Amino acid sequence: MRVVAVALLLSALAAGQTGAPAIRLERDSSGRQVFRVTGAPHLSTESFSVYAGETAGLPALLGAYRVEGETLVFTPRFPLQPGLRYRAVLRLNGRESTQTFEIPKATTTATTVVEQVYPTTDRLPENQLKLYLQFSAPMSRGEAWRRIHLLDEAGKPVELPFLEIDQELWDPQGKRLTVFFDPGRIKRGLTPNEEVGTSLQAGRSYTFVIDREWVDAAGDILREGFKKTFRVGPASREPPDPKTWRLTAPQAGTSEPLRVEFPEPMDRALLERLLEVSTPRNAAVAGTVEIDRQETRWRFTPRQPWQPGQYFLRVETILEDLAGNSIGRAFDVDVFERVEDRIRRETVSLPFEVGR
Amino acid sequence: MFRITLRLALCGLLAVALGFGAAAIDSLKTGKADLKSASALAFGPEGVLFVGDSASAAIFALDTGDRTAAAARPVNITGIDQKIAALLGVSPDQILIQDMAVNPISKKTYLAVSRGRGPDALPVLLRVDTAGKIDEFSLDSVKFSKVALPNAPPSVVDKRGGNPRQDAITDLAYVKGRVFVAGLSNEEFSSNLRSLPFPFAAADKGTSVEIYHGSHGRWETNSPVRTFVPYEIKAETNILAAYTCTPLVKFPVSQLKPGTKVVGTTIAEMGNRNRPLDMVVYKKGGTDYLLMNNSSRGVMKMSLANVDSYKPITAPTEVAGMPYETIASLKGVEQLDKLDDSNALLLMRGEGGSLDLKSIPLP
Repeated sequence: MRVVAVALLLSALAAGQTGAPAIRLERDSSGRQVFRVTGAPHLSTESFSVYAGETAGLPALLGAYRVEGETLVFTPRFPLQPGLRYRAVLRLNGRESTQTFEIPKATTTATTVVEQVYPTTDRLPENQLKLYLQFSAPMSRGEAWRRIHLLDEAGKPVELPFLEIDQELWDPQGKRLTVFFDPGRIKRGLTPNEEVGTSLQAGRSYTFVIDREWVDAAGDILREGFKKTFRVGPASREPPDPKTWRLTAPQAGTSEPLRVEFPEPMDRALLERLLEVSTPRNAAVAGTVEIDRQETRWRFTPRQPWQPGQYFLRVETILEDLAGNSIGRAFDVDVFERVEDRIRRETVSLPFEVGR
Repeated sequence: MFRITLRLALCGLLAVALGFGAAAIDSLKTGKADLKSASALAFGPEGVLFVGDSASAAIFALDTGDRTAAAARPVNITGIDQKIAALLGVSPDQILIQDMAVNPISKKTYLAVSRGRGPDALPVLLRVDTAGKIDEFSLDSVKFSKVALPNAPPSVVDKRGGNPRQDAITDLAYVKGRVFVAGLSNEEFSSNLRSLPFPFAAADKGTSVEIYHGSHGRWETNSPVRTFVPYEIKAETNILAAYTCTPLVKFPVSQLKPGTKVVGTTIAEMGNRNRPLDMVVYKKGGTDYLLMNNSSRGVMKMSLANVDSYKPITAPTEVAGMPYETIASLKGVEQLDKLDDSNALLLMRGEGGSLDLKSIPLP
């Protein structure tokens, strides 16, 4: 640990006086950062505190005190933040001395990029439900809504197009953010839809912008910003129908992929998760999935060559298209005429034959 | 004062007599509560604090041991984010206050804080006593239990090497032996209100219900619940739920049965370009009120006096529902809870950007 003791202020107790107290910041045997106060035996825990930052009047760091021989040891509750100054204050015989410490922040360069924004197609339905922002490295929370923008053809920002929830919808790695278009502006018959219209309007073009200033989890801005221009088509209100999907079965004895082609792009994340290949006995076949052609094609390559016989493509019915329509159910439902009385957590099975 | 204390003591005895106390506390075992995040907080009886942990898709029940009844005192802590940052040894921009809950017994405030902003941020629970002193509520050795929320099928997780799906837990509440959890998935778009029995039972993973609400238009989705509060209407426990797309909806808890769809009754529309954040119910002058803070439409107060008179809307109609007034003096309220029967506790952003914790008399 490289520590810079920046300055010794109010040095009444400082070097030059034999046996003067000294404060050191170092690692203990278990690798934790500790402050050690030596040269002042019988110190009470009240006589030594560490403060983060330069602002006076704030509480001291949480942490644990212990005495080792004639040394007072303070272990901060949390690791110190590189680049932040810490003031170690010793109060002794009515006098106060302050020593500041700083762990240098590693100089890093901006390397994180936006790898992709899904859907990858440049033609979205007017009732597009969500975007997935895929970054190359973990990002920091708390600033997403300042860093993304939707611009119309004139470059003018569309007002509040997204569902700005404080608990940003990241994946566990912090690399993928889900951005919903405000569902209140998508549904038919809702006030926002009537008063301000949908965020996206058919026949127009828009540009989705990600600012370069967005900070990643390491504290660095992005290597570059991101822009995606797309054209908007009519609203999509039809639920996806597996009967319209085209399955191309592989040959037995090969490891050729099973190919599934959809007549419209599907939700990228759900496509990764909700399709699976199984045997007639419902045993899942191991293999890898590839999604391409702007999320209109799903390919499954088995780990072992195909055996001849019948297989099934099993699809959970919560699979959505770009507008959030799921299999057998449109995104917005006419509740007064048709509310099913059971939750569907079902799969549909599409058989295919692997021939010799 | 003595009378109040006696009444509180009697309430405590009553809670034990009703079966919550001993059995529920006994179900909690001492150990390190390994939270990965702290997204939402709610108190149950006997100082049991429920913590929604989005990152580990789990609900923790913690015994705070905080069962000494006390009267509330006025709260006014300016720059609480700076004070918290100082305690945790970071700059204020590395602090996110996720939620806040007042222990109704001790009137101490608990804050769920994220230290850091990346995926390796650490969850911290802080406790603010009635004198305004902030301290950590340590999770290293605490009586607790936890229950995992059902997530994507494990087979999918194993095969693809990691599961990017996650539920953001947006609110939770304890209602008569069950913990209700509202969440929003980062993949499929659906209403996600789960009900879990407490004490947590391994065999009962809880139920998940889809809730539709009729609005003044006839097209609806099963949109996610953002915040909710239990409320008794004619001796029947209801949930008043505010949605990400702003209608306020009621439905009886008794309808929330496993695998069913529930059609709630829309009782108010909160207007567009707005997100509801928190709600509390309180009584003043013999009338029940709902207080709700919003992302862009301030703090709204609604009388619940006629809440049971709103019928389900069965045809397209004009905007109908409970009238509300906006409390003009309350701006920038990010978190809201009841401090006691007469006072609200607010976490609010002041005009100069300062984040303050302060109490106000309930309006």
